[in-house]
Amino acid sequence: MLGSIFDPAFADSVARISIPILLAALGGAICHRAGVFNIALEGFLLMGAFMAVFGSHFTSSATLGTLSAICGGIFMALLFAEFHLRRPGDPIVVSIAINLISLGLSTYLLRAIFDVSGVFQSDQIRKVSLLDIPIIENIPFLGSFFSGQSLLFYFSLAIVIFAHFFFKYHQLGIWLRAAGENKQALEAGGVSSKKIQFISLILCGALCGLGGAQLSISNVGLFVENMSAGRGWIAVVIVLVTGGRALPLLGLVFLFGTVDGASLRVQGFGWPQQFTEMMPYLASLLALIFVCYRKLKFEKNTQGIRNV
Amino acid sequence: MKAELHEISVKFGTFCAVNNVSLSFAPGEIHALVGENGAGKSTAMSVLFGLNTDYQGNIFINDQLRRWKSPADAISAGIGMVHQHFMLQETMSVLENVILCSEPVNKLGFVNFAAAAKTVQNLIDSYDLQIDQTQKVGELSVGQRQAVEILKLLYRRSEFLILDEPTAVLTPNEKEELFQSLSNFKASGKSIILITHKIDEVMMIADKVSVMRSGNLISSKLLKNTSKNEIQQNIIGGKLPKPIKRKQMHPKDIGFEMQKVIIPGLATGGKPISLKVYLGEIVGIAGVSGNGQGSLVEAIVGIRNILSGNMLLSNENISDQDVSARRKIGLSYIPEDRQSVGLALDASVLENSCVSQMRNKQFSNGYFFNLQHLFKFSEQLVSEYDIRVGSVKSKVRTMSGGNKQKLVVARELEQKKQLVIAENPTWGVDIGAINKIHQELIKMRDMGHAILLVSNEIEEIMGLSDRIHVMANGQLSESLNSDQVTANKLGELMLSRNEPALSEKLEMMRP
Amino acid sequence: MTQRLYSLLAASILLLIIFASLIWLADADFFKSITAFFKGAFGGRKYAYLLVTISRAALITGMAIAALIAFRAGLFNIGGEGQLVIGGLASAFVAINLPFGGPAGIFLVLLAGMIAAGVWAMLAGIMKLWLGVPILVGTLLLNYPARYIASYFVSHPLRDIASGMPQTHLIEKSLWLPLLPGTRLDIGFIFILFIFCIVLIYCYRTVGGYEAKMTGLSIDFANASGLKTKKISLKTLALSGAIAGLVGAIAVLGIHHRFTDGMLVQPLYAWTGIVAALMVSLIPWAVLPAGFFFAAIHSGASGMERTADVPKEIAIIVQGMIILFVASKVPTAFNQNIGSGK
Repeated sequence: MLGSIFDPAFADSVARISIPILLAALGGAICHRAGVFNIALEGFLLMGAFMAVFGSHFTSSATLGTLSAICGGIFMALLFAEFHLRRPGDPIVVSIAINLISLGLSTYLLRAIFDVSGVFQSDQIRKVSLLDIPIIENIPFLGSFFSGQSLLFYFSLAIVIFAHFFFKYHQLGIWLRAAGENKQALEAGGVSSKKIQFISLILCGALCGLGGAQLSISNVGLFVENMSAGRGWIAVVIVLVTGGRALPLLGLVFLFGTVDGASLRVQGFGWPQQFTEMMPYLASLLALIFVCYRKLKFEKNTQGIRNV
Repeated sequence: MKAELHEISVKFGTFCAVNNVSLSFAPGEIHALVGENGAGKSTAMSVLFGLNTDYQGNIFINDQLRRWKSPADAISAGIGMVHQHFMLQETMSVLENVILCSEPVNKLGFVNFAAAAKTVQNLIDSYDLQIDQTQKVGELSVGQRQAVEILKLLYRRSEFLILDEPTAVLTPNEKEELFQSLSNFKASGKSIILITHKIDEVMMIADKVSVMRSGNLISSKLLKNTSKNEIQQNIIGGKLPKPIKRKQMHPKDIGFEMQKVIIPGLATGGKPISLKVYLGEIVGIAGVSGNGQGSLVEAIVGIRNILSGNMLLSNENISDQDVSARRKIGLSYIPEDRQSVGLALDASVLENSCVSQMRNKQFSNGYFFNLQHLFKFSEQLVSEYDIRVGSVKSKVRTMSGGNKQKLVVARELEQKKQLVIAENPTWGVDIGAINKIHQELIKMRDMGHAILLVSNEIEEIMGLSDRIHVMANGQLSESLNSDQVTANKLGELMLSRNEPALSEKLEMMRP
Repeated sequence: MTQRLYSLLAASILLLIIFASLIWLADADFFKSITAFFKGAFGGRKYAYLLVTISRAALITGMAIAALIAFRAGLFNIGGEGQLVIGGLASAFVAINLPFGGPAGIFLVLLAGMIAAGVWAMLAGIMKLWLGVPILVGTLLLNYPARYIASYFVSHPLRDIASGMPQTHLIEKSLWLPLLPGTRLDIGFIFILFIFCIVLIYCYRTVGGYEAKMTGLSIDFANASGLKTKKISLKTLALSGAIAGLVGAIAVLGIHHRFTDGMLVQPLYAWTGIVAALMVSLIPWAVLPAGFFFAAIHSGASGMERTADVPKEIAIIVQGMIILFVASKVPTAFNQNIGSGK
């Protein structure tokens, strides 16, 4: 049974499933490190997915579709920035509102513009091209993971590695961390923390937009109502669990991709669909419990707080 | 560098925080700005540093009119400020902190750490500072952190240093080191502004003294042209508070006792703490903040677990009881942090004044509370303790610091419990409120209650306590009789700092 | 004051512009849409649509009360959806298997929904207190298992196969909530009104409500003052969950008379309830009008979809925009320690 789960097609699906979550989680990580409590990733992602299809349909170009997805993500991020940074809105309330608006707006526009409900598909949608990498594609199993993926896959892997060095050695990366840890210190140095947080939100919007593009115009080329289906929330959990550090985040995302991919597989063995679909959420819950419990135990051992 | 504040006024709503203040600062001079909490010293300096841009009046730097848009402008003009609460990134290294916001970068924005490290090391060497620039700031002691803050200013070539209450958190030893550095800076031609409320420091190091009171500049003179007495009178406005009278007590019954208690998280290396407080006495615990007093108090109150040992209150072992049980047996607690521990700021005065008595008979039947009695009770507190507030229904957030603290003190003392724990009860409140709170504590003592006073202010400890312990590094000294001990002796006991800082230990245990 | 009025006006105009351009996008007539909106919310033959609005308002207000109780105690329970679903599922399960009907039966079914949802909500509390998982994320992540568990039950063990839909069998008529005489409105809203009154008393007059509020305003304050914050948190979560469960049970017994997959999730009752509670900055008495307001928006949008061909999702957008504007006016609508999900 195991052998028939872990075949090349499986490796391929893990890579495909992971990318939207990876991009969203990266965006979330940037916000997290900059001290913006952004749990609107779900909304950013959904808007990106819709705008990708929208752009791709009207321009018949995957590139413009992707750009339009980025714009969609950034638009929602601007909304977030306006109400959380420029006005003093609570980030959780703003996030909830933005998730609602994304859900409402994408569904509304789907019906208003394309006159369909549920699923939208058209011949004009162009998909992001897939890239076969010579030599690597011939490696068994790994080959189907690393080769034949959409451009966005390679792009996001590059971004993770860049992000790792960015936070450590780049001025903006350091400022982002400073804004998240002690923004008064940053402001005392003459750098506006709001500006830094604004940049982090825009980056997050762009990355989530890309993630949305991967969802809708990378492999399938269609849009479904509420297409993000909780992936943004999983990304939020991953950010919280890893504290926004780039490399652990990468590992955890692929772990979830594996669980998700495997759950699709075991459906073939007659497991009820509901249980297999539940698996990624249970997995993220378990990961969260694991990390939180360790932190709790650490605090108990060192500080002995009783009543919290 | 010469700087001048010309007729500066700052208003917060209708409240005038700084009223028409003119000050001038010369190079190679240490200028002390003194006054009580809320006198407007920090606000005036935040104007000079560009943190506050909403002011009337003019700033002149080297006789040129300047107006800052943000601290960045002031910094580039050579002004630097060490804030009372350090502005440091705990998880970053000393180097990263020092160069933050003025990093040397290449074209792509990546930081050239090697070059920066060299510059910083040069500074460390030339001013003889005791810092390792690769260490994380979270691992440093308070004194070292302050040195990092100063290093930050030196790195930016500030010619003008503003230090806001720099000695508040230092041991006497660290204070001397700081003053040595300041003298060095002065010698190299920098100008230094020292914001403080401690007159002794002013007498020690300042060249010029300016006194502010409730937003006004009272005087600005060279130190040699004034006297300690004059400064003191200017600070409080003439009338010195009356010394508090206290009854002669002969305490013999133990009110509270700790027997060989080990508290987790204290850097004692497992040394137990023993402590006795008799009925009818005030026991003071002196020490620089952050030496474990907080954990000790939390352990007594029951917010923090203990590993071993016993705590006896009214001859009952309370080690395993929770907070509410301890309070029932006879404990009340005036926390240091009134903003989040002492009070719920967004609740009303009424709601705050009844919190730990809500389940008592008069207050409720266990399910529904007796609103009439709550009103009566809280109004009585407000009038008895002279708390200035519109009505007991107003939110606590709207009250001044002194009135907030009076409310906490009133609530806790009104319960007339056997043991009263007062943790920095007068921190950041005005002189009127300080006197009132001190009087109430003495009154409780005279009525035969056991009082444990934890404070960072040596004067407060010496003025109120019958016996004194000093806490340093998580360890409690022997008890000292307050009429036999001098401030110097206490200072000496506060010094011992051989162990690694607490946060360093925590770091080692982190999973 | 005038400045506030001014900004309120600006926000309203902006909302109206967004509203108008959305209608324009859908190629609908603006005035026809507006008429349809009001008719859909308050009109209809014998005020049929108004009754629908009331029935929906009951569910939304119920969820708003559930959210409010948790929020004011500092517990950011955004898992109302999961609790609602579990409550609805449990009550449907009991209703189908109950050998008798009538008031006693109805009572038992409602109770079952409340208990199940209360326990589900307490799961998040247990995860917080013993495992350290922040309430916000814990409650949220429990939404998904709840949804899938319900989906499994109605597609497999409890499925009414003949209907061809993922749903349970119809429950016995004797267990249906009775209708108000002469209308098609069931008495579910009376239950909610009753709960509303009890919650008002709880918030303003009881020791429990007072202690929960203090815990919510500052947990350190509550701990130092000797409140048993662990117990308070668990009790409050259970209470919040139980009310959500009651709403689920009322939806099953009063409106649908069976449990259909997605029937409690799709209309966004739980999220709308949360938004309603936040909009009034957690002022207890104000959740009733807020609940009615949002119910009217949803009903009105349905009316627009029926007669003016405007997709009803416009309600969700408007709802989101309103909460954005309101949230930015009240920065401390609730206490910081809720947001400490970090």
